[in-house]
Amino acid sequence: MMLRLSIQLCSCMRWDQQIVPGGAVRLVIREDKHTAARYIADYIIERIKSFAPGPGKPFVLGLPTGSSPEGVYKNLVAAHKKGEISFRDVVTFNMDEYVGIPREHPESYHSFMYQNFFSHVDVDPANINILNGNAEDLEEECIAYEEKIKRAGGIELFLGGIGPDGHIAFNEPGSSLRSRTRVKTLAYDTIIANSRFFGNDLSKVPKMALTVGVETVMDAREVVVIITGPHKALALQKCIEGGVNHMWTLSSLQWHPHAMIVVDEDATLELQVKTVKVSLCSQASPTAFAHLAQYFKSIEQVASSQGFGQALASEEFVLRKRDSVLEKLDSPKIPTAKTFLAPTKPGLSGQITPDLIPDSMHERVEGQPAKGLGLDGLETKELPLSGMHHRVDSAAA
Amino acid sequence: MPMAVSPERPRTGVTRLTGGRLVSGDKLVEGDLWISSVTGHILRSQEVFYEHHVIPDEVIDLKGKILCPGFIDVQFNGAFGFDFSSVPADMNEYQKGLHRLNKRLVRTGVTSYLPTLPSQKAEVYNKVLKYLGPSGRPRNALEGSESLGAHCEGPFISPTKNGIHSLQVLQEAPSGFADMEVVYGVENFGSMESELPGNAGSPISMITAAPEVPGVSACIPEISRRGIRFAIGHTEATYEEASEAIQRGATMITHLFNAMRPLHHRNPGVFGVLGKTEGRDRPYYGVISDGIHLHPTTVKIAHNAHPDGFILVTDAMKTVGLPDGVYDGMNGDRWEKKGPLLTREGSDTIAGSSATLIECLNNFWSWSHASIPQVLRSVTSTPAEMLGLQGVKGSLEADADADLLVLDAVEGEDGQRGFKVEQVYKFGTLVHDASNETFGL
Repeated sequence: MMLRLSIQLCSCMRWDQQIVPGGAVRLVIREDKHTAARYIADYIIERIKSFAPGPGKPFVLGLPTGSSPEGVYKNLVAAHKKGEISFRDVVTFNMDEYVGIPREHPESYHSFMYQNFFSHVDVDPANINILNGNAEDLEEECIAYEEKIKRAGGIELFLGGIGPDGHIAFNEPGSSLRSRTRVKTLAYDTIIANSRFFGNDLSKVPKMALTVGVETVMDAREVVVIITGPHKALALQKCIEGGVNHMWTLSSLQWHPHAMIVVDEDATLELQVKTVKVSLCSQASPTAFAHLAQYFKSIEQVASSQGFGQALASEEFVLRKRDSVLEKLDSPKIPTAKTFLAPTKPGLSGQITPDLIPDSMHERVEGQPAKGLGLDGLETKELPLSGMHHRVDSAAA
Repeated sequence: MPMAVSPERPRTGVTRLTGGRLVSGDKLVEGDLWISSVTGHILRSQEVFYEHHVIPDEVIDLKGKILCPGFIDVQFNGAFGFDFSSVPADMNEYQKGLHRLNKRLVRTGVTSYLPTLPSQKAEVYNKVLKYLGPSGRPRNALEGSESLGAHCEGPFISPTKNGIHSLQVLQEAPSGFADMEVVYGVENFGSMESELPGNAGSPISMITAAPEVPGVSACIPEISRRGIRFAIGHTEATYEEASEAIQRGATMITHLFNAMRPLHHRNPGVFGVLGKTEGRDRPYYGVISDGIHLHPTTVKIAHNAHPDGFILVTDAMKTVGLPDGVYDGMNGDRWEKKGPLLTREGSDTIAGSSATLIECLNNFWSWSHASIPQVLRSVTSTPAEMLGLQGVKGSLEADADADLLVLDAVEGEDGQRGFKVEQVYKFGTLVHDASNETFGL
């Protein structure tokens, strides 16, 4: 039986609050890597279409390389060939590229992207951005890349994969979670893993790469990660059930306001699933299994009835909403008639205390002019007395 | 501010051919090919894409048809009534005839060829060789087929294996290379040493001669040094004599089996070098597979013996492409054409052939049931290699000349197989489209 599951890890997201950013890390489980890839491809197509990019308003897409995303590219190419989607107004930024191998080398990431994607679709080559591993100044290349992302308006959706050690792009364990595009020396394990593409000759495998940083990816408005296969199961578990941790750099996804992880059933083998261990073999009791299946199916149904109910609305839509909220907060409040506070006796007004008219002492008391007291020159003059209320107005306090 | 890219782009002259099956080594692979009609080359598409941001002007979907390099015919005496060795009074007529031939020939799928001259008197060579040299320098697609240099078949051949060559013009070379210079013309030999055929000096690309004719074998090293191929043909040579010629630099055999000694189990003759050649690579060899010159099984045996050297040629006479009937032949003969069969009028002597190269190709494919790439290489990459043009002609690799054919491959139930030429590209420009009668040169 095909079980399609979607699990909310954070329950603060309600189905009807689909337009408000800041929700959950959505975990979407599909049966195998093929259906997972198709789901992501369909999602990306839907996002691009609802974004409705145009010449002055491109959809900025972050892209990975590797065997997991290959299936996504195949599906995107197929959809493009059927005329379902054009990439003409899509600007792309790839995650990484090796240092020191020729751009046209069959194992370069330029070649991967050309063979798997760019040569089959209509992305304008002027809109393609891939780090240049043969740049004269690698650091300048990295700084320029970050700047290009900024100038493009930031990345709308970043698609990524994960390494068996939980790394995203070449941000190997120990990478700072605040890292940006930079030169990285590759971990020995990565070099070994890559050697299968270089005739198993370690000396031919590149030792350095340029990569976007963890924070570069997390700066994207939305991050979608594909994780398939049992060898990625531990990494997935560490990244979504453990804490945010630089040894499993993808765990920084937990800080992202709008992230989605699409996995196949094999990749969930280490998950506790809050905790439901879904097993492909029906070793769980049939009835318990059926209850669970019902529970998750109903979530899925609600989700699908909302369409891609969790699709991230465009930035301008969200900003417009926010602007209208701020406007409302700023406008002066028209006081409401608080009739329930009004007094019952009309016309009562406070009496005003009559002013005291001062007169000087010597008009009341017969007096001789003061003399012989050595007070010559020190005549006391009458101080003009005025009421307090002329000097101080309590109402103006 | 998001980046905006202008939708208006200048035309690049780049065409992308997609959805076809490309001949690649021994396989047919699906893939794209980018060609430039400006430079006439096949492009390095990834480099052009990333470095120069080039988008093709046109994307053509080949819908699963086969994309292969243009055919090369290295033995071809004329067609459509035009004969390379007939010298008119006015050489302007000759040139016009040549241009017309090139434009018609390209439609049959032959994008390059060696115009071939059977044994002639010295005057003929002196007059015509200057027009028959390599014509591809200007890289003008609208000229049609391109000459890769002349093929002088004779006159230094064996008088007992002359075929339809006139005995009066055959000769020996007692003074060695000097005799060749006299016959072909001194100015027609390049003065520079060159590996490439048709270097700036010489319009001759290949000379066929019989190594046992006195003086000929000694000339072979000098001929090779001038960048000209030496082909063994019209010969009574034994296996040993042929081997020696190969040692001295011969790299080709002209129409194997025809006009040479047959295979005898103790005297294998020229054919023997397909088994083993001492010390050198085995030579290339031409085969006429019109169904008349050779028995189908003979062709198959040769191919099995040495597939890497197998080159199909037509040895076509001017009657190819003309309707059946009787025509004036060479040296006052009258020839009779019946389909691909061409005989001396009133006899059974084969006078050459009237088959097109694609007919020969289809015959070979039907007889051998070899794979499509193996069949196609016999008229593309193998002749290009023989001429020293690998990677330039006969190839779908980047930087090669964009002489391409789009073929429809038909496999009938009766075992008959055939290709049909749908489109022809010359130097990256479409010059023939079978589906469009009015389009063409």
